[in-house]
Amino acid sequence: MELELNTVQQIIEIVGEDNVLTNLEERICYSYDGTFQRGIPELVVFPANTQEVAEIVKLANKEKFPVFPRGAGTGLSGGSIPMSSGVALVLTRMNKIKEINSEDMLAVLEPGVITGHFNQEVEKLGLYYPPDPASLKTCTMGGNIAENAGGPRAFKYGVTKDYVLGLEVVTPQGEIMHTGGRTVKNVTGYDLTRLLTGSEGTLGIITEITVRLLPKPKEIRTALVIFDKLEDAASSVTAIIRNGVIPATLELMDQIAIKCVENFNHLGLPLDAEAVLLIEVDGGKNQVEEDIISIEEICQNHHCRKIHIASLAEEREKLWKARRAVSSAIVQLKPTKISEDATVPRSKIPEMVKRLREIASKYNLHIPVFGHAGDGNLHPNILADKNNKEEMERVQKAVDEIFHAALELRGTLSGEHGIGIMKKPYLQWELGEVGIEYLRAIKRAVDPNNILNPGKVF
Amino acid sequence: MKDMDKNHFESLNKCSRCGGCQAHCPIFYETGREPFVARGKIELLENLQSGKLTWNDKLADIFSMCLLCGACAENCPNGVPADKLVMMARKDLVANNGLPIIKKNVFQHLLRYNGRLNLAGKILYLYQKTGLQKLLRISRVLNLMPNDLAKIERLLPEVASGSFRKIVPFRSTVDNPRLKVAYFTGCVTNLINHNVGYSILKILKACGVEVIIPKQGCCGVPAFASGDFTTGKFLGEQNIKEFAREDVDYIIFDCASCLSTWLDYPELLESEEALKFSDKLMDVNRFLVEILDIKIECPEIGKKVTYHDPCHLKRTENGKKAPRELLSRLSPAYEYVEMGLADRCCGSAGSFNISHYRLSQKVANRKVKSIKESGAEIVTSACPSCMMQLSHALKNEKSDVVVNHLVELVAGCLQ
Repeated sequence: MELELNTVQQIIEIVGEDNVLTNLEERICYSYDGTFQRGIPELVVFPANTQEVAEIVKLANKEKFPVFPRGAGTGLSGGSIPMSSGVALVLTRMNKIKEINSEDMLAVLEPGVITGHFNQEVEKLGLYYPPDPASLKTCTMGGNIAENAGGPRAFKYGVTKDYVLGLEVVTPQGEIMHTGGRTVKNVTGYDLTRLLTGSEGTLGIITEITVRLLPKPKEIRTALVIFDKLEDAASSVTAIIRNGVIPATLELMDQIAIKCVENFNHLGLPLDAEAVLLIEVDGGKNQVEEDIISIEEICQNHHCRKIHIASLAEEREKLWKARRAVSSAIVQLKPTKISEDATVPRSKIPEMVKRLREIASKYNLHIPVFGHAGDGNLHPNILADKNNKEEMERVQKAVDEIFHAALELRGTLSGEHGIGIMKKPYLQWELGEVGIEYLRAIKRAVDPNNILNPGKVF
Repeated sequence: MKDMDKNHFESLNKCSRCGGCQAHCPIFYETGREPFVARGKIELLENLQSGKLTWNDKLADIFSMCLLCGACAENCPNGVPADKLVMMARKDLVANNGLPIIKKNVFQHLLRYNGRLNLAGKILYLYQKTGLQKLLRISRVLNLMPNDLAKIERLLPEVASGSFRKIVPFRSTVDNPRLKVAYFTGCVTNLINHNVGYSILKILKACGVEVIIPKQGCCGVPAFASGDFTTGKFLGEQNIKEFAREDVDYIIFDCASCLSTWLDYPELLESEEALKFSDKLMDVNRFLVEILDIKIECPEIGKKVTYHDPCHLKRTENGKKAPRELLSRLSPAYEYVEMGLADRCCGSAGSFNISHYRLSQKVANRKVKSIKESGAEIVTSACPSCMMQLSHALKNEKSDVVVNHLVELVAGCLQ
């Protein structure tokens, strides 16, 4: 399908000439996300407000062209990739924080607001928005909602969906709809807010977001624990949870991940250690002190080599910078990264870690393992070279086995990246034919012309 | 991208497309457009490399949109040197399509020859002193010109009356000098702001250092940054030849861009000869602090001063630390206050502020805001090109904040 000149002209009339990109050179820059997937859109459009979004979607239904909504393009499942056609709808111009309300403990904002920026703004007022995906300095809130993003703090605080109170959405047919509202309790009608959160741009375009906020934790302590054996790190994680300590974050990095990060950050992490845990506790002063002592004891009982406690903000930020760099830094090993986020029940972390290592050695692949061990959400990343056909075949087999393992341990294909394009082939393994058909039925009902983000999820 | 070398080609592969560069790119911050951030340019380079794209005006346009400030490279989890890659791309563009006509004239006819550059300086001086400038500004003729010409005309610095290097002697020495340095003055100090040069000579004399000012031309950065490696190499090799004539302990710079170009000479010129100088190259501020360990008896003035990090200095050894240390030694004459985002690019980027005037001013205005918020009366820096940009932007914002080179303050304290 190709966009008619006349259609392009109409889009230009809606958003203005400066907000439409037509050149191939510019469109190529909207063909990717954080994966190796590519699809060049026919047009890139930057709407300024809900009204413009609605008009474009209406036009899309009339002229039958697909619309691929996106924010900063940092996704890890190919969810925002234009399937070599239609319009890439970039929502980054809609980037105002409209309200931060300390009394109702909520904020209202546009989808293009950068998550990290939002975090800072609410924290200035003594409030807290916990979801913190590693890309928080660039990713947008709209993208976070569409993918139901998680992050390290999910262990204690949950994920994006646990904070969304209400949405304004442009439906796949171009109508403007409001879901939820400004209250924590709301059982009026189906829970469309939750349906749209994590709908990966297939059921509506999020144009305004209302999120719940928490009071900012008073104290934070971060512990960096070094282990000679990866298994010991994994079993410490389960022991900490079993002992009733709920850290805000419980992050694991294996040896390959440590090496890659160290190459860039030079934090002095030991290159011969098999794993490190990055554990953060927050809350009142006494609680934090108590928790840190318990964690120290547990890790020592599990043969950790060393514990380093950071309480200064700069020192903690340094450790986190390292952790957040991992996902990008492992590309040092090989250029093509297949980033998985298969998630298992937290007690199965040691078993999952063991299986991942077996899979890596069976297929002779680099599979650094890092991630949110506390909530069972590991990030096994396979590093390969997409031009090496034989290697990519091995990758495919390894991915299959990783998903098998996760499901066998009663986990899920994706904890926080979404299905997008990358995990589409596996959806049936988890949902079954009935489950997939249910999703399709919803999609058909609200988007009969298959306009919004076609080719994704299923 | 035929002649892209292996190292650069491999660094393309290291970009994971995570998009982290978006958070650090001043141009992306202003425009929000992916082609202008490192990730977009790397995708385009891959397409050029594989032959899916070839150079055209649009692509040239996109690659002109980079300050080469290096903030992306500095913060990249994989250390992808996107600034270097942009420079290589510009080189490739020039090799394929030649230089835009204006730059061609400037680089190949003006920059190469000191005499002509001096002459251009003189013409500009006359333009400003004869009242022609005033006349044109009053008559608003310039406002009739396209492309913000009137505003750009105001970017022209007030030039000095001649070449600094012609006025001062080749050698300034003292009895029993403790060290001997060669001073690379850079074009701006030579033609526009002599006071920086005089300040350095005064300070070094007071510190008992012998200074020679060898014959020299432009360091070549305007040419390299625009992809004209032929002119850049010509200039670099000339400079190396002249500076090799007399042995010195250090070669000092008042301009961060000149220093960083010299530091890159071994790679840019592919020259063994250039490598021999590497250990001797030093920013004047660092030289004063680390080598001379300068102690200054300061009068009590108590003016608040802040400092802007030139992109080309902040990534060199102690490039952030040394100037701040020097400033703190000027207490109680000056009280040093740090501004927010001191190390963010000012948007000058050589001729970027002329070719992309409005965008460059937007970037500069963030800086102006930081400066104002710091409450400083003086903003110092260590790069004459940043200083021109800051002066212009502050003037536009009707601010009274004065822009000085750090050495000007130091010299002022030596009364």
